[in-house]
Amino acid sequence: MKRVLLLSSLAVAGRAQQTAMDPAGAPARSIAHLGLFFLALLTAIYIVVITFALLPLMRRHRGIDQEPLEGNHRPSDATETRMAKRIGLATVATILILFGLITVSVSTSKATSGSPPRPDSLVVEITATQWWWSVRYANNDASRIVMAANEMHIPVGRPVMIRGTSTDVIHSFWVPNLQGKRDLIPSRTNIDWIQADRPGRYRGQCAEFCGLQHAHMALWVVAEPPDRFEEWYSRQLQPAADPADPVRQRGQQVFMDYACVLCHTIQGTQAAGQVGPDLTHLASRLTIAAGTLPNNKGNLAGWITDPQSIKPGNHMATVPIRPEDMQPLLEYLESLQ
Amino acid sequence: MVLAARTPGDEAVTTPRVLDVSGLPAYDISSRSPLWLGQLLMCLIEGSLFLILIAMYFYLRLSVDVWPPPGVQLPNLILPTLALIPLIASCAGSYLASEAAKMNDRRGMLVGMALNLVLAIVFLVLRTVEWYGLNFTWKADVHGSIVWSILFLHTYDVVADLIMTTVLVVLVASGRYGEKQRLGVHVDSVLWYFLVAIWLPLYAVVYWGSHVVGAPQ
Amino acid sequence: MNPVLETAERNEPFGNLEPEAIDKTWRDERGLKGWLSVTTHQAIGKRYIVTAFMFLLLGGLEALLMRLQLSSPENTFLGPGRYNQLFTVHGTTMMFLFAVPVMEGMGVYFVPLMLGTRNVAFPRLNAFGYWMYLAGGLLFYGAALTNTAPDAGWFAYPPLSGPQYSPGKGVDVWAQMITFTEISALCVAVELIATILRMRAPGMSLNRMPLFCWGMLVQSFMVLFAMPAVMVASTVMLLNDRTIGTHFVNPAEGGDPLLYQHIFWFFGHPEVYIIFIPALGMVSAIMEGSTRRGVFGYPAVVLSLVANAFVAFGLWVHHMFATGLPQIGEAYFTAASMMIAITSGVIIFCWIATLWTGRIHLTAALHFVFGFIVIFVLGGMTGVMLASVPLNLQAHDSYFVVGHFHYVLIGGALFPLFGAFHYWFPKFTGRMIDERLGKIAFWILFFGFNLTFFPMHIVGLNGMTRRIYTYPEIVGWQNMNLLATAGAFTILLGGIVFIANVLTSRKSGAPAGNDPWEAGTLEWATSSPPANYNFVHLPFINSRYPLWAGKADRGFVTGMRSDRREVLVTSVLDAEPHHRYVLPGSTIWPFVTAAGLSVGLVGSIFAFSGYFVASALGMIGVIGWFWPREPLEMKP
Ligand code: HEA
Ligand code: HEA
Ligand code: HEC
Ligand code: CUA
Ligand SMILES: [Cu+2]
Repeated sequence: MKRVLLLSSLAVAGRAQQTAMDPAGAPARSIAHLGLFFLALLTAIYIVVITFALLPLMRRHRGIDQEPLEGNHRPSDATETRMAKRIGLATVATILILFGLITVSVSTSKATSGSPPRPDSLVVEITATQWWWSVRYANNDASRIVMAANEMHIPVGRPVMIRGTSTDVIHSFWVPNLQGKRDLIPSRTNIDWIQADRPGRYRGQCAEFCGLQHAHMALWVVAEPPDRFEEWYSRQLQPAADPADPVRQRGQQVFMDYACVLCHTIQGTQAAGQVGPDLTHLASRLTIAAGTLPNNKGNLAGWITDPQSIKPGNHMATVPIRPEDMQPLLEYLESLQ
Repeated sequence: MVLAARTPGDEAVTTPRVLDVSGLPAYDISSRSPLWLGQLLMCLIEGSLFLILIAMYFYLRLSVDVWPPPGVQLPNLILPTLALIPLIASCAGSYLASEAAKMNDRRGMLVGMALNLVLAIVFLVLRTVEWYGLNFTWKADVHGSIVWSILFLHTYDVVADLIMTTVLVVLVASGRYGEKQRLGVHVDSVLWYFLVAIWLPLYAVVYWGSHVVGAPQ
Repeated sequence: MNPVLETAERNEPFGNLEPEAIDKTWRDERGLKGWLSVTTHQAIGKRYIVTAFMFLLLGGLEALLMRLQLSSPENTFLGPGRYNQLFTVHGTTMMFLFAVPVMEGMGVYFVPLMLGTRNVAFPRLNAFGYWMYLAGGLLFYGAALTNTAPDAGWFAYPPLSGPQYSPGKGVDVWAQMITFTEISALCVAVELIATILRMRAPGMSLNRMPLFCWGMLVQSFMVLFAMPAVMVASTVMLLNDRTIGTHFVNPAEGGDPLLYQHIFWFFGHPEVYIIFIPALGMVSAIMEGSTRRGVFGYPAVVLSLVANAFVAFGLWVHHMFATGLPQIGEAYFTAASMMIAITSGVIIFCWIATLWTGRIHLTAALHFVFGFIVIFVLGGMTGVMLASVPLNLQAHDSYFVVGHFHYVLIGGALFPLFGAFHYWFPKFTGRMIDERLGKIAFWILFFGFNLTFFPMHIVGLNGMTRRIYTYPEIVGWQNMNLLATAGAFTILLGGIVFIANVLTSRKSGAPAGNDPWEAGTLEWATSSPPANYNFVHLPFINSRYPLWAGKADRGFVTGMRSDRREVLVTSVLDAEPHHRYVLPGSTIWPFVTAAGLSVGLVGSIFAFSGYFVASALGMIGVIGWFWPREPLEMKP
């Protein structure tokens, strides 16, 4: 219940959060406009076609039992010719309409796919792994590279170039409010661009079936005004500070003593595992386990105690933690802002 | 033929119009037989299978810079090229047998099919010898996988056809045959022509493909 | 009625054909061995249809389970593993074990009847194909029952389906089951093409051939060119990668997972038209029988069918737009995909003209035809939307696509099929189906169908991706999903009404007679159900609708022998008689061959040497199959 409440508040905060019908950025908007155009035109055609198909029912013979059958029916040649002309006309119309649809479709495609239209774009590298996302903000200056997971922040109004790949099977990056989807394929890099024109939290989801937990492979895109974004970015640049508080110090120790350290990275500590998500700024995220649970202490505890019952089959091992170690560990993780 | 000769008038109610076919032959050992068409269709199926394999070969070829991968010895060109001679010549045997089948010439059928078998076996022997020269398996890399798939599937088809031909030889030699089996001999040749013909592009791809399309320096 | 044919059948006024003799020649053996040896096309066709229908029920049951799981957010009715198996098995069953085989079965049953001949050209191949199909289905469900169901989706994309990410035997079973059904489809394709091109009634030139036969001809050619591709994808690439270590889809060794997608969809797109085009033939037949005129614009319809088939081989990439292709390629495939709307449109327009100019008798079968038009055209429209790259990138792999393809598959193939069941029911059984119950079933199915699948378009655009076993509440998809689940159960209700109708009418329907609809094509010129040899006297015709034509335009073939299974071979274009041809009799060898081959192919899931076992056993079977039996038929 709590989880529901929290996530609904997220939704409200970001208005609509996972739909192609409420675009929040340029590419998604052009696509939505194209979609409306198609929808309107095709609906009109549909209605016309179906009307013509059903009209003959008005003048039908009543039914097989009421009416004796006659010999076969042969309309006059004049009728046949008239019909042939109409069919020809309808066919020509179909061809013209389709030609138009192809043209608008191809031109929208040009405008919405490929590289971002502006050179000042941000470059984000997304690497999908069963069943979570690694997010890396590329930068020529190595000290300005940010590593994150399952959540990305973007500045409003600035195009963001996504360079996506996968480490295992094929996944697909889809944030419907911002852009169509793009497959992430092992040993290939696919490019896409997204852009948000208004702040909000947009939920995305892996769209290509990728195994057991394909359903729980979501990702949040948080669009913020540029200054807020910069603030977030510089916070993410910081490695995790060594905790001052003894409980948290204990927690850090716990993390390093148990198997956690083998799979996770916390920058600024000796934890440098690559198997699971980077946890350096875990506490700043909205959700844990790729959108499966809202990020709060209770869920975190539940997740660490038994990840396999929350997201069956995921690749995080269940690490038996002594009860007295749990609280410090949680305190520590909660401090990773 | 008969259709043109329509009885005029409409006395059909009492004497329905009739097409008497008793004069038509009861078998026809030629390309007009449904069985011949069926064999042709089987060849189309295999043909599209092999065309897909060729397309795959080039798709894989074009997605890498170095082909075949370093360390892979390019297949020797002499033996497979030499092997084409008995293979193509074996079509003559097939042709002989299929024409003899039409004429119910038992000796001709036997000679033709024997010629076909012998030459085909020479071809297979050459092919096997040549395989020993290949220094890669299907497990080595994708080049090995596609080349061996082509070689395997074609050889498989050839062997299957040769077994069928052998069975026909046995039937004809033992005298246990009628029109149906003669039709079988005739139709068998269609498959053989096909297997020979399809080998030519496959040969070109497997043995010349890597030389022609960007051989490694 | 049709005096000529009627009198002839009753009086046998001429010729050397004795009905008793011909009956004896074509009779099936009794007992189990006889049952396994049957090679008559009606029996095989019916077996195909009944078996496929069983698989429809199984696939439907799986769908219902999925719908229950999706009916509410965070549902725990099914776990991820089960759910993934269910949609994989559902999709695979529906495509490979239901839709294609049922169309083949209809073709096998009706094509020889409509062409006026006695059987298909290769009756034993026909029997063999059926047994392979059955074996494939049993293998698949046998594995599912022992918990080795595949779970990688009906197109099993690698690397997910590869050795590393799908350990276990599930995907191997999937890949090899496809081989079984493809062999079966190829057998039917070969024999139908040979039958259609070579065994039409004298005088039935190609332009007089019933549209259903045209549909089957076009479909069979598509099978011929498309099925080898899926064999390459599923066995050469996927199975060999999994079992003997080839590297086709392994990027580390130069392989490419996208190559698999190309090859699969080079088959997969034509596959949907392989399902759809026979259905177009059925719609044409029903329409002719219920409007009592020939389909308007016959040549245009035939040309469109053929063009559809050609274009269908050029647009497989529209399933792969999201993989990131060069833009020029995208533009081409968009254009090609939309072009197919032209040919489909022409066919629809011709039918509308038929309805306008014919005299409509609103039978239950025609209800299904109208339902087909309403549903299919909508599915076609969403298809056109999907063909546009930008829209596709939003809709791809979402429930919008699920909506699209159920509209075209169920609307475009299942509704015509159900219509055809109603229309041809008298021919199958000799009795009329209850019209009223048929119409009731139609309305329930029609309503339930739209309730199930229309909401999917909306929820798809709202971001619901396909193949997810659950979804969180915040995304707001629950209402649409609940509607869909309710709809699925409505469909179930409609299905039950239909099944009940079939079962009762089969026993107690009004006797139908030869030609209850007074339709025009040859399948109505013989008794219902037809005897094993179809026609006592092979018909000969001079027009497209021989039963509607003047008496001078039809007649009989005489001079055929009745003591062996003789048929008449005619020329390809004009159907001029060319020679008589003897079809082989019933034999158990096709069954034995299929059994041997199956054992080997199942073995190949475990070791490559299984293929050699399959080949050896298969070869023994084939030799037995072709081994000459006395008399050797030397004399004409
Ligand atoms: C019977 C089966 C069938 C049929 C007939 C069709 C017909 C069409 N399909 Fe569909 N399709 C499937 C079965 C079928 N499809 C399946 C099973 C899948 C999903 C596979 C999977 O992923 O699991 C799929 C997926 C699919 C995709 C990929 C979606 C994705 O995964 O991203 C696309 C994209 O282009 C597409 C397009 C079309 C088009 C353009 C047609 C056209 O042929 C439609 C043409 C018909 C009409 C348009 C209506 C009649 C025309 C008129 C009345 C004329 C006037 C019309 C206009 C002017 C527009 N289909
Ligand atoms: C011809 C093909 C066909 C048909 C007829 C259907 C029929 C149905 N399909 Fe299917 N479907 C596919 C082909 C088809 N489907 C394919 C190819 C996929 C893609 C799979 C993949 O992603 O890999 C798919 C996927 C698919 C999904 C998406 C799963 C996912 O992505 O997570 C869903 C979800 O609702 C669904 C639902 C249904 C429903 C409710 C029906 C209903 O219409 C079913 C109605 C039938 C019944 C209700 C049967 C009635 C009878 C009984 C239940 C038996 C009772 C017993 C006796 C009386 C003896 N289908
Ligand atoms: C075997 C490797 C492994 C070990 C050991 C491991 N993890 Fe994980 N962890 C993962 C993986 C993989 C994920 C991603 C799971 C998913 O979402 O599918 C993950 C996810 C998480 C997450 C959620 C991160 C996010 O951003 O969503 C947290 C928190 C976490 N692990 C904490 C821990 C702690 C604490 C420990 C030690 C008690 C631990 N992990 C041990 C592999 C591991
Ligand atoms: Cu990752 Cu689906
Ligand atoms: Cu398609």
